[in-house]
Amino acid sequence: MSLMEEIIAAVEAMPPFPQVVHRALKELSEPEYEVADLVEILKVDQAVTANILKLCNSAYFGLPRKVSSLKEAVVYLGATQLRQLLLSGAVNKIYDQPNEGYAVFADELWRHALATAVMGQVLRRHLKLKLDDNLVFTSALLHDVGKVVLSNFVADRYLEIEKLVEEEGCAFQEAEKRVLGFDHAEIGGRIAVKWDFPPEIVAAISFHHQPARAGKSYRLLTELVALANNLTVMVGYGTGVDGLACRGHGLLLEKLQVKERDLENLLLLFQMEMAKTCDIAGVGE
Amino acid sequence: MALVTVGIADFKVSNNPEDTLVSYSLGSCIGLAVYDPVAGVGGLLHYMLPDSSINQEKAEKNPAMFANRGIPLLFKSCFKLGADKNRMIVKVAGGSRIMGGAGAFDIGKRNYAVLRKIFSKNRVAIAGEDIGGSYNRTLYLQIADGRTSLKIAKKGVVEL
Repeated sequence: MSLMEEIIAAVEAMPPFPQVVHRALKELSEPEYEVADLVEILKVDQAVTANILKLCNSAYFGLPRKVSSLKEAVVYLGATQLRQLLLSGAVNKIYDQPNEGYAVFADELWRHALATAVMGQVLRRHLKLKLDDNLVFTSALLHDVGKVVLSNFVADRYLEIEKLVEEEGCAFQEAEKRVLGFDHAEIGGRIAVKWDFPPEIVAAISFHHQPARAGKSYRLLTELVALANNLTVMVGYGTGVDGLACRGHGLLLEKLQVKERDLENLLLLFQMEMAKTCDIAGVGE
Repeated sequence: MALVTVGIADFKVSNNPEDTLVSYSLGSCIGLAVYDPVAGVGGLLHYMLPDSSINQEKAEKNPAMFANRGIPLLFKSCFKLGADKNRMIVKVAGGSRIMGGAGAFDIGKRNYAVLRKIFSKNRVAIAGEDIGGSYNRTLYLQIADGRTSLKIAKKGVVEL
């Protein structure tokens, strides 16, 4: 088997996206979802149920009394929070495995994913972008999922990749492509297809290092994810062995005439939001 | 030995020789380590942005996020533990940039420029630094002897 065939086989071998979460997200995307239907879907998975109750009863919400039924929790959290909780729980598990190829510290991929999701939401809100918040959150959270599959391949050929980065000034992702035949972004896109995510999310993941390549109707979302990724990498949220060796995609900043000070203010708002999110998610900042 | 993490937009000071202060993953952020060998007092600041004038109100709650507020705060907190400005050994790391990340993106450069300005105004000398590039750094400060070391992914640990 050639190296590229091996990588494709590894994509095929990825476990499916948790079905309970997939079904619940689908139900939640209905304009008028039924709480009872949602409870029926969720109660099958004990871990998911426990997580929902745990969040509801966490200090963050400071409820006067304990919520003990799933139905009550679903009503209390509402669609947005519930969706984010379900996605975060599922994606956290996907990223949570040894990642020799990319990570320097444990849980780095997850921290980076979470930071990018928070950054994406902050940018969307403050730059007043006409994008669905769920799409932003989901694509940003999953943008590096290809690294889960490519990790071992990168680890095996690391010296070659590093040489291209250091000696030829390649971005890490460009070096992956040259050495392995694929980069983590396109592999992530293939995983998203396999998991049945909608085309805009597939595009945002596939082209988060080359937003200009995304189809026109998916361009804004992809540019946003690319920018959010740039900024979290820059600040240092879960930057792995690839460090800051990625190209800056500032097109969106130019288009929207975001100046130095505006960007600094956005980073300030991001940092405050991130501190809160880490608190809820139990992640170290 | 206790490893004390200094997160983004945070600082820690210590006079406990058991402590090692550490800031992980410095990208465009700057890690500033200061140490008085006579008093055995050291501090580490991990700031993210150059100037608090962008949002004074939020800066009140998060002074360590900014160079102009965090740097004086770090020094003053060390003085409270008996450190003396004239004995301070100062090391700086971080200020990286993404590739082709000029203009608005190059916050690392602005973070470092403000630090230099504050230091030249206050006559503070830098004893060691590692700035810029496109990689991220982890900075350690050992309170027992003031040793600072820098860890760069896949490149190992060097003394600063």
